Amino acid sequence: MMDRLKHSLIGRLLADPMAVFAMAIIVGLVIVAVFADVISPHDHTAMNLADRFAPPSSTYWLGTDNLGRDTFSRLAQGSRIALYVALVAVSISGLIGLTLGMIAGFGPRWLDNVLLFVFDTLRAYPTIILALALAALLPRGLSTVIIVVVITSFSEYGRVVRTQTLSLKNAEFILAERAMGASAARIVFHHVLPNVLGPFFILAAMNLPVVITIEAGMSFLGIGVPPGTPSWGATLKDGFDYIRNTPWIIIAGGLPLILVTLGFTFLGEALRDQLDPKLRKSR
Amino acid sequence: MNDLKTTSIFPSLTRRQLFAGTAALSAATMFPIAAWADGSRLNVRAYLEPDDYDPLDASGFLEELLYGCIYRKLIQYVPGEEWDWQLDLAETIEQTSPTTIAFTLKEGQMWSDGFGEITAEDVKFSMDRHMVEENNSRIKPDLGTFTHVEVTGRLSGIIHMERPFAPIWTIALPYLAGTVICKEAVEAAGGKITTAIPPAVSGPYRVVEHRLGERWVLERNPDFSGEAADFERVDLIVVVDDSAAEIAKEAGDVDFTSIGAGSVQRLRDNPPADATMTLHPALFYHWVGLNVQNPKFEDIRVRQAIMHAIDVPSIMQAAFFDVAEPSTGIIAPGLIGHRPEGLIPPQADFARARELLDEAGIDRLEINIDVLNNVTHTTAAQVMQAMMAQAGIDLNINVHESGSFWSLGVASDGDRWKDLELTIKRFSMTPDPYYATAWFVSDQIGDWNWEQFSNEEFDRLHDEALSETDPERRDEMYRRMQDLMEESGGYRFLTHGVTANLFADSIAPATRPDGQPLVQFFRRA
Repeated sequence: MMDRLKHSLIGRLLADPMAVFAMAIIVGLVIVAVFADVISPHDHTAMNLADRFAPPSSTYWLGTDNLGRDTFSRLAQGSRIALYVALVAVSISGLIGLTLGMIAGFGPRWLDNVLLFVFDTLRAYPTIILALALAALLPRGLSTVIIVVVITSFSEYGRVVRTQTLSLKNAEFILAERAMGASAARIVFHHVLPNVLGPFFILAAMNLPVVITIEAGMSFLGIGVPPGTPSWGATLKDGFDYIRNTPWIIIAGGLPLILVTLGFTFLGEALRDQLDPKLRKSR
Repeated sequence: MNDLKTTSIFPSLTRRQLFAGTAALSAATMFPIAAWADGSRLNVRAYLEPDDYDPLDASGFLEELLYGCIYRKLIQYVPGEEWDWQLDLAETIEQTSPTTIAFTLKEGQMWSDGFGEITAEDVKFSMDRHMVEENNSRIKPDLGTFTHVEVTGRLSGIIHMERPFAPIWTIALPYLAGTVICKEAVEAAGGKITTAIPPAVSGPYRVVEHRLGERWVLERNPDFSGEAADFERVDLIVVVDDSAAEIAKEAGDVDFTSIGAGSVQRLRDNPPADATMTLHPALFYHWVGLNVQNPKFEDIRVRQAIMHAIDVPSIMQAAFFDVAEPSTGIIAPGLIGHRPEGLIPPQADFARARELLDEAGIDRLEINIDVLNNVTHTTAAQVMQAMMAQAGIDLNINVHESGSFWSLGVASDGDRWKDLELTIKRFSMTPDPYYATAWFVSDQIGDWNWEQFSNEEFDRLHDEALSETDPERRDEMYRRMQDLMEESGGYRFLTHGVTANLFADSIAPATRPDGQPLVQFFRRA
């Protein structure tokens, strides 16, 4: 049993200090997000103008913002927004990319060309310009942020999955399956899909912090969540606006972004090390 | 080796030549530093980008900032603490009857780029074009009852008005609508200035470059007929954010900037080295506007409930850092028509708001507010959101960039203007109450009157007040107009704000009494 665990993916990740560090951060984030209401010492919406710009203290662990709201409580609530946007946006864009990537790789040539054109066009479009354009057309809110992320990132998954599918399409075991009369659906779901999931999950793990920073960036620019919503980007924006009055807001607002980016990036790299046979051999 | 020798980029460079070349290069690179160090360059922050060079498109003070540098008028504001005007292009100018003003231009005032002398024909062309319907002048209301300019000689003319127009000396002539442009150059350009560089200027500076979204680069106008400008080059640098502008000032990237209210106390406590902060009572007016035509607000009790649920002192504390005072209307203290107090006190009355909603049969009200993406108005909206919840009103905040925001209430930009609910806005102002009320008459619905406030008495009073020459009677009329605005439930007046300026001690800025810079009069200290 122990031997099996040791050789499983989880076991191999637990043996990697970088992966353990990454997982500790991510588990911490999840705990903070789930128990945000419990661990927040103050109501994150409560204004107390008499205490605005307060430095960190035993009452306000990370100080207060321009409206006297507790920064720690707002960041704790903000972790929910960050995780929600990241998981929903990556899931939707991943699903679309996975589906279209396999269709492009396994389908007819003309369809591959059309989808490739779509992928390349969307990837060439700068995220922030698209975000600004969509923000002008759609109502402000998390759904707009998610739409921006999905539109700009599903092509990345599609590209990777297509390449993997193309390389598998003419593999000997696939040809053998075909020769034995296996249907296209069976080949795709039983042979292609399991083989593309590894790179897909690595990419998804690497994309989670990107999505979180896109949300924060949009909120920082004022085109993300509405004012008052405790997003990390909104906290950064408040910190920037009042950086001359107090540096604590921007420092506190930046910390979770740095930690989460490190956590997901390290996890993605650890996954890549474990799932890529070439890298495993070279270790 | 031989090959190397022949292909060297310094085939016959001696050590002495190398030293000489290095010295020359050093001298050349030091030149811009020397030019900067002797103070011949001035960098002024603009908080938004002026629209363009054509007064037809002008909308406010940002255009005036640019026009003041490159164009001239018959008369101009005098920098200082008191509102007054001085002669500019005019040698003489006088009111010859209640509806006529005669002027004579100074001899030998020249246009740039070989367009010759500034004549009365230029004055006529510049002012008359605002009255042509097809030109869609956005500042036509500034001209009030003006009808036309009659040219009586090469350098003389008469300004005609349909009826007496009291603000002609305080708004029409010394501000945007009084800007004189070159008839010959503009007609050659097709009747409108749409070029990247204006075809002809007359002010102390001329435009050499416009980097869209970044800056206007001006340099001393060699054809300027007045006293030469003190700076060889002026950059009007667009910095939208107050914090960024303050950082730019500290970094030495701008010499003059307005700063946010949030910085005032900090700079009082820790005065910056080599810089000065000044505070001026502003004429701007910030207010929360409510679209009275929106079916959601058909019942006046709902509108009144919203107004009672807005706590102005809290907004002053949070968004204006207690530097500014609550206002009583759209006309600032010291001007004709200022009200000592409004109909609804600045403090919120949540119980009264709740009572009004109950009377209107509303348990919970969900409303939307649109605000510009600036820290003052987004903070004010957040304070409102928190406070209004106490009265059972859920406020959703929509933030917009400048371009998107300023088209919200404009009928020609789509149908959004009909569905507007609440907005927070700030309008610039000149020292005459006419300029404040002009934007709220019925004709302005779908343009500047986003509250879609329409009141016959208001329109009539506005029309009569502009011709009223008795200051006391005029004062009464403007007070009554603000009462009508407030009674409609469409307006919650916030503040006139303050203008806080921060500038390098190496310059001597010139400002209007409300603190707005008159860059054409800036000098080296």
